[in-house]
Amino acid sequence: MIRNITQKERISAFRDKRFIILGSIILVLLLTAAATGIINYRVLAAERKLAQSTATENFNNQPDRHPHRVAHYGSYAFRPKSVLSFLDFGLDSYTGTMVYLEAHQQNSANFSQVQQSGAMIRFGEMTIAFVMQWLIPLLIIFLCFNTFTLEHEEGTLKVLLSQGVSLKAIAKAKLLGYIQVISMIVLPAFFFVFLFVLSINDFILDSSLLLRTAVFMLTYLLYFFIFIAGSILISALNKHSRTALVTLLGIWIFSIVLMPKALSNLGSSLHEEPSKAAMDASVHEESKNGIDGHDPMDKRLEQFKQGLLEKYQVDSLSQLPVNVDGLIMALGEESSSKIYQEHFDELVAIYDDQNRLSIWAGFINPYLAIRNISMSMAGTDFFHYVDFLNAAEKYRYALTQHLNNLQATKVAHKDKTSRLKADIYASYPPFYYEGPAFTKALANVSLSIIALAFWTALVYGLIIITMNKKKNLI
Amino acid sequence: MQIILEAEGLSKTYGEKTALNALHLKLSKGEIFSLLGPNGAGKSTTINLFLGFIQPSAGAARINGVDASKDPVGVKQHLAYIPEQVMLYQNLSGRENLSLLSALAGFEYSQSALDQFLVEAGLQADAINKRVGSYSKGMRQKVGIAAAVAKNAKVLLLDEPTSGLDPKASNEFSELLLRLSAAGTTIFMATHDIFRAREVSQRIGIMKAGSLIDEINAAKLNAGELEQLYLDYMKG
Repeated sequence: MIRNITQKERISAFRDKRFIILGSIILVLLLTAAATGIINYRVLAAERKLAQSTATENFNNQPDRHPHRVAHYGSYAFRPKSVLSFLDFGLDSYTGTMVYLEAHQQNSANFSQVQQSGAMIRFGEMTIAFVMQWLIPLLIIFLCFNTFTLEHEEGTLKVLLSQGVSLKAIAKAKLLGYIQVISMIVLPAFFFVFLFVLSINDFILDSSLLLRTAVFMLTYLLYFFIFIAGSILISALNKHSRTALVTLLGIWIFSIVLMPKALSNLGSSLHEEPSKAAMDASVHEESKNGIDGHDPMDKRLEQFKQGLLEKYQVDSLSQLPVNVDGLIMALGEESSSKIYQEHFDELVAIYDDQNRLSIWAGFINPYLAIRNISMSMAGTDFFHYVDFLNAAEKYRYALTQHLNNLQATKVAHKDKTSRLKADIYASYPPFYYEGPAFTKALANVSLSIIALAFWTALVYGLIIITMNKKKNLI
Repeated sequence: MQIILEAEGLSKTYGEKTALNALHLKLSKGEIFSLLGPNGAGKSTTINLFLGFIQPSAGAARINGVDASKDPVGVKQHLAYIPEQVMLYQNLSGRENLSLLSALAGFEYSQSALDQFLVEAGLQADAINKRVGSYSKGMRQKVGIAAAVAKNAKVLLLDEPTSGLDPKASNEFSELLLRLSAAGTTIFMATHDIFRAREVSQRIGIMKAGSLIDEINAAKLNAGELEQLYLDYMKG
């Protein structure tokens, strides 16, 4: 019984010229977005790989230098493009792609795509995520808004019901029919994406990539289900197609256009982040005066030097078996890095508070839930960005301390002219970054997944309750 | 005598307005009963109550012993329904519509069997495979008749079934009803067509303002007498 109505919905949809035109446009957009996303990924990934290897090469091929010169010569950390970033650019276009790594200084990531592109990029980019988050819900609305109202208006519902079918069965069949119709548009694009993901590593299975892709696709299917079921529900609750369409379009505009922007503004107002200049000034001030402001650096240095003299049982710094300058540099680096990291963690906590608002709002608006999951699985969300910044800072700190250690052990006290052989520096491992594991990314969006599951159960439950409650069927 | 269709004190009110007032009616197997009355008399309300589309305010509507308000899905296994305007899916052909409706009623027919039902209902063979969007009202009505016959139901509920049919089709429809009745199908027909009602029915009910005001043995009156009686009731 359900099968027959499902088949009828499918046939009707594919005989509807308006749907065929809209559906074809969406399919073409999806495939185009996938293709351009893949090309974009390949170009950017190659650029960054080349930039990273050039930076490493330059570092390795530098002339013989004093370790502290090398520490200031520095290096570069380029954020590798996440393979799945072609699905959802997320924050990638707005976040920096390169961090200059040098001693004493934690530089921010620079060279975002927005900085290098024209104003058009601010209108958003055509990605698979954009088509699936914005346009497919619209297609679903146009497909389903009159699913019950038209039956009412044209009198076919009465004919259907008189055959001995329950309203609940009709609703389930329609749900199934529309799922099949939407799947026919989405699945070719998913197949294309899947083939690309497989081809990345020459068709050698990468479980992390496959799992991310699977979660990406499955959660989008849930998102579409929510819109299909929601549209059917609204159609069942309204008597006229026009009212159902206006209601659904209103929900679409509120959920996808207005609410995310309003939440973003609300988040910034509730949890205001310090400016970059203010944060740099605080780090500088605390490094200079000590963390609590009562422990000046000079005093700590004196204590440190005195401690060394006592430890090595010598009278002057020049008698020490190690170069005290290197040790002082290491101490300063440790102190300033600790201060910076505390400020950075505080800043990240503020951004997390802002983001938490939209994560919880996923229980009010499924678009916010899928947006979080989508960016996370694509590796383009804030969590992935911060992970890269932390990795870059970790490398910078380790490299700087390595160079301070070279100065302390290989260069004499107050010797500022000696140079160490370049191959000593070249032996230091280059910056290598691999994004967070799938499980970490999944855990980070677990609440959004729960929100999406909640919505799925809610709309389906509401359909069943509504259909069971309808006593007067016409 | 086996009672197939029964209304027992069946009433329906909408706020202050009484759409149907304590209808008592019993139809036996193979009987054809026509309900005459002006628009708003309660004819369609009665049919909708038997279909379980609306809940009665009092009383019960039973078909083959199944209470329509308590088991609105189950009761439809025993009945077929033809409304005044058979509304079908415009994107599907006549055959596809019939196939869908039969399948929903639990009958899967071959393509040739479906075509036979449609032709027997009077649809031209060359129209069977065309989309219903291009059908006239009469052609849609014929698909509805075919669906009702294909359902092989014990009871046929008809709401102005000949409205929109040309005289020839209307005559063929009357013949079909008599054939179905002879085969044991009980038929309940709401209609304005006094002559058609007298031609096919054993009993005729006259309804006014929600109440069944008279029940007539169709064989005892000719068409003219019946018309006069009906008009007298409507004046009074």
